[in-house]
Amino acid sequence: MRSLHPASIAVRSLSRSLNTGFMFFVVGVVVSPGGNGIDLLSIFGLVAVGIVVGIVYEFAYYKRFRYDLTDDTFDVTSGVLARRDRELPLGRVQNVDIRQNVLGRVLGIAAVHVETAGGGQTEVSLEYVAEDEAHRLRRQLRSGASRGDSDADDLEAGDRTAVSDPGTADDELLFEIEPRELVILSVFTIDPGASLLGGIALSFASGFDPATLLPGDRIGWLPGPETGLFVLVWGLLLFLLAAWVVSAVLTFTRYYGFRLTRADDELYYERGLLQRYSGTIPLEKVQTLTISRSVPFRWFGYAALSVETAGYAPGQSDSRGTESAIPLADADRVTELARAIEPFGPVDLESPPRRARERYAIRYLLVVAAGVGIAALVARYTGALGRWYLLAALAVLVPPAAHLKWTSRGYQVDDRYFLTRTGVWRRTTKVVPYYRVQAVLHQATIFQRRRSLASVTADTASSASLLGRAATAHDIDAERGLELQADLEERLQERLRARKRQRTVGQRFREADDGDPSDEGPSPESDDER
Amino acid sequence: MERLTPRVRVVWLALALVRAAIFGGIVVGAAIGLTRTDLWASAPDVLVPAAAAIAVVLAVLRLVVAWLRYGVWRFELRDDDLYIERGVFTRVRTVVPYVRVQHVDSRRSPLERTTGLATVVVYTAGSRSSDVAIPGLTPARADALQESLRGLAIESEGEDAV
Repeated sequence: MRSLHPASIAVRSLSRSLNTGFMFFVVGVVVSPGGNGIDLLSIFGLVAVGIVVGIVYEFAYYKRFRYDLTDDTFDVTSGVLARRDRELPLGRVQNVDIRQNVLGRVLGIAAVHVETAGGGQTEVSLEYVAEDEAHRLRRQLRSGASRGDSDADDLEAGDRTAVSDPGTADDELLFEIEPRELVILSVFTIDPGASLLGGIALSFASGFDPATLLPGDRIGWLPGPETGLFVLVWGLLLFLLAAWVVSAVLTFTRYYGFRLTRADDELYYERGLLQRYSGTIPLEKVQTLTISRSVPFRWFGYAALSVETAGYAPGQSDSRGTESAIPLADADRVTELARAIEPFGPVDLESPPRRARERYAIRYLLVVAAGVGIAALVARYTGALGRWYLLAALAVLVPPAAHLKWTSRGYQVDDRYFLTRTGVWRRTTKVVPYYRVQAVLHQATIFQRRRSLASVTADTASSASLLGRAATAHDIDAERGLELQADLEERLQERLRARKRQRTVGQRFREADDGDPSDEGPSPESDDER
Repeated sequence: MERLTPRVRVVWLALALVRAAIFGGIVVGAAIGLTRTDLWASAPDVLVPAAAAIAVVLAVLRLVVAWLRYGVWRFELRDDDLYIERGVFTRVRTVVPYVRVQHVDSRRSPLERTTGLATVVVYTAGSRSSDVAIPGLTPARADALQESLRGLAIESEGEDAV
């Protein structure tokens, strides 16, 4: 049995006492005696109590925490008040992530998070162990895991390696972010969290008085009513600027030094400037590949690749975008890397029928009409808008927009994969292996039925499609959609049968010349039974 | 193709009525509140009747949809998969291969118990179709369906199912 790194008491109690200290501070403020003002002494006393409680708790936590890696399980005993013994079968381990913040890097310690399928949260967190111990654990946990289900998947992994890298399988560098890519990524990524941070930073910079940020002396000459508008625009500009800078800095530190390597049957990524993140993406658990080409990056010829595994997107609770296998790279390279993971054939998508384009045109026209209608109402009742009918000129944009939407959509029934593409601004191509399809949905709204169109969705177990972005062939012919639905299911069954056959054949083959006793495959006993 | 028990319309209509009543209560209540207080000084006289009219129209729409839903709903246990067709506005045809079935629940809400109906819910690991529910079954049919789905799922014997 091993215990955590001793330094973890210090680090954990630091963050713990910050929490408990703050909690007791709040408690102190609330309960401080004397309705008039706050008793500083009692507050400080409570905060000190909070800090001491935090330290004592963390010391006990350290004392109680034990973990052990056996041949086929990972055992963890933990808990101060409620004690918990866990045994994790190694075959069920999905991902192993290592996280290191600045303090951790100074002290040479790291947090290890072990994920299993199912369950919304991290199964086991080791906070913290020594850096090299973390890497040792990751390696052993993952190798144990792949040994555990080798009979299920190693054939698939085998023919994958044959396609991609016939040579060495050990830690091959697949991708490393280049400075130029990192800069472009940072400059053009909009982080939603950053807008909040930007606002906070702005209010700090102004000393909590937004008025100081406004160039009051320079707008004095403006006539009355325009000043308000100007101030508003100015404030908005400042806010956007702050959000943009914060967002760029955040993205830069997040993806700094991004590296993707491949060891045997898993991808391993490392990234981060201040906080180091690293983790594994097991290839045999890949559900869907997504290649996305968003607008500013598309102009530079870049694309991004993300890999979804079952029930788990690395960094669900953490920062977004962590699951991306490649945050940004040359489009051709991304496709090549995607093919190394799932060897899909040449992309030759089938477009939706032309009447889908008419549908988009009518939809956009309705939007424009609604806009004009609202403008007319506003003009009528408030008199704020003079020439509201000029808005109708937007209708000129409708045909090109409809056409763009139409061209951006498509689908393909490949030999082993179902490919779909959609999105004008963020063009995403999804690659779904047939044997990962969970259910096939054929949907037709009342408007689609008028034109006998339908959308066919291949549902997978990937967690990312919770955001409503499952692989969908939009607006295809309704009849063709039904065929596609039947076809997808047929191919799913066929692939499953093929995989099962491969598996049993592989098992027999291995049993036939099983010489290596360390192999976790079928044991000699089962050989005899047959 | 199997249809649901016609009695399911009672459940749907009751639900639609309750929802329409709640919505109507909120809308009409808000309209009355606006006219009686000073919040909106020059509130037009038609506000309350208009709100009531909207509520009634929506309620009728809901009831019609609930009635029509029965005509659309169909399901079938096919050789390799469960096939479901449903949806008044958006027609959805779902195919769930038995290999992918994780577990099967049968469920009876209070309303269903009073009408003597049951719902069977089929779960897959998929993120969108994880709640394939077949409502409006007689309890006996629900049990039989659950049993046969379970049998078919075991028979098809998938690997990891994800």
